[in-house]
Amino acid sequence: MSILKICNVNYSYDGSKKTLKNICAEFDKGKIYAILGPSGCGKTTLLSLLGGLDEPSDGQVLFQGEDISRKGLAWHRKNNVAFIFQSYNLIDYMTPAENVALTSKLTPLPILERLGLTKEEARRNVLKLSGGQQQRVAIARALASDASVILADEPTGNLDEDTADEITKILKECAHQMNKCVIIVTHSNDLAKQADVIFRLKKNELFVAS
Amino acid sequence: MSFIIRSYLYCKRQRFKTFILFLILTLIAAFMLTGIAVRDAANKGTANVRTSIGGKLELNLDTEGHMGSGEQTEWGTTYCYNGDFITQDIVDAISKVDGVVYYNTEETGGYYGAGVNFKYLPAEYGLSYTPYGESSSYTVTLSSEKCKDFQSGKYKLVSGRHITPNDKYACLISKELADYNKLSVGDKVKMYSLDSDSQASFEIVGIFDGTEGSQGNALTVDQIPANCGYLDCASVYDIFKDIDDEGYSQLTIYVKDPVNIQNIYNKISALPELKGKTLKLSIDTDEIDAVSTPLTSLQKLVNTTIIIIAIVSVIILTILLSIWIRGRKKEIGVLLSIGKSKYNIIMQIFTETLFVAVISFAASVPLSFYLSNNLTIFFIAKVTAKTPDLNIHIDTAYMLPLYLIGILLIAVSVIASSWTIVRLHPKDILTKIS
Repeated sequence: MSILKICNVNYSYDGSKKTLKNICAEFDKGKIYAILGPSGCGKTTLLSLLGGLDEPSDGQVLFQGEDISRKGLAWHRKNNVAFIFQSYNLIDYMTPAENVALTSKLTPLPILERLGLTKEEARRNVLKLSGGQQQRVAIARALASDASVILADEPTGNLDEDTADEITKILKECAHQMNKCVIIVTHSNDLAKQADVIFRLKKNELFVAS
Repeated sequence: MSFIIRSYLYCKRQRFKTFILFLILTLIAAFMLTGIAVRDAANKGTANVRTSIGGKLELNLDTEGHMGSGEQTEWGTTYCYNGDFITQDIVDAISKVDGVVYYNTEETGGYYGAGVNFKYLPAEYGLSYTPYGESSSYTVTLSSEKCKDFQSGKYKLVSGRHITPNDKYACLISKELADYNKLSVGDKVKMYSLDSDSQASFEIVGIFDGTEGSQGNALTVDQIPANCGYLDCASVYDIFKDIDDEGYSQLTIYVKDPVNIQNIYNKISALPELKGKTLKLSIDTDEIDAVSTPLTSLQKLVNTTIIIIAIVSVIILTILLSIWIRGRKKEIGVLLSIGKSKYNIIMQIFTETLFVAVISFAASVPLSFYLSNNLTIFFIAKVTAKTPDLNIHIDTAYMLPLYLIGILLIAVSVIASSWTIVRLHPKDILTKIS
């Protein structure tokens, strides 16, 4: 059974023009998925629906076969999914270790060290870290939550090419070595090429590209 | 990570905001604490006034409709009260009522006497109707200490003692009259009463002052306060027993607990000795009102001020927290995205404010010492020209109401300012905030 499934989902703002039309897709553990599409095509909206940040107008989002609205969207966000954002979205008055501890009762240092941050960097204010380091902290926070699904919204969008490659490598590790289901929303073909499955959003509909 | 740890980290790292909040909360707490202290002092002051002054009931003759039809004399028509007087039976029955602590009668001009072995301070005209010269008036009382001029502080006993209900042929005279005749406590003064056509000897049991300088241009000796003294009831009753033994025309009844005065009034009214008698019983609160009215006004003013401080505090806190919460949209969005509930986020903001408040409220105590003195002067000036005797101090017992009121105000402010959080949709983290 797929870990996350989206069935016949429609979405529109204020009941007007549909942003998403009859979307169906399945996502499995151990794979990395990319959702490609031009700006404004509804990629982020789709990610919101998968992560329980919003509800579809019609259709269902299922986690392990159960509609995520049954236990509540906040419960789904807390226990099943973790987000990685383009702008990292770390809490600025906390250290990397504290940011990671937000989602975990485990000691955050080993997770941060595994992602390449030193102990000293882990205790620094997050704003004093580079963009790449901040994104690693965001990934560490996602991993610390022990969620099965990682939802990444343009995770390399603000990073230089080398750092973007490193982050992509980490995300692939998350999927292939840690058996997570990683879903990346991007308009970068280079990043999409690293995915096991590529979806394309076109005219509000989702197609499997490869 | 719990909201308590997040609150602690926020307060620790956002030092400037924490300091601003600390200053505002300290100021609010200091005003609140001062208000509580002044209010408590006014409450205690009012209670002290009531217990120290006590309550009073007045029993008087009901003259309305009981003055007869008038009698034609050489001076014109004279009316004479033909109703009931306050007899000793009535006085005895009243004295036994539970809650009555004392009673007194004070009949100004109850006795007129001419000096047989002493002289009065002279007046403008020495009109003499008796063989011993002019007569002066005496107040007949059971207890001179309870008489209005002594109670008000106008007269003060300078030697000897007051007249008590057990005295017979005792008198109080003024210091001026005593000095004028070289009399002292223990001496006897002999007086002639034209009404009874008899002489009586009174022992001077006390001398009082307070009459000085009130002589003026008196036409008769009894218009000079220094010539007017006090006599006991028993002797006057004895002197006039063959002419008139009707009783007292006025009785002041003192009760221990003024709060219970209505109950005592009802009990006295129901006494069989008073049934059908042409007597009027009334509650006299003039004295208490005179002293306690400024304190009551002070209480009202302070209560209003406390309410205003509370409302202004909530407004200031709400505005400040609202501005800060708007600046924390990203943080709130992140917390929502990791599954924290809105309630959990609001509790974090409440706890942050509470952490600062706990320290601020304690720090407000020294400031309150300063404020209490200045604000009290301001409050008192608003309600009375006189300075009531208020003992204002910042008690540690006031901290509990301060913390309770403070926590309530903070809760209201946080709830009001959390509108931004309640409105924020989790999806915004991916659109507006990103």
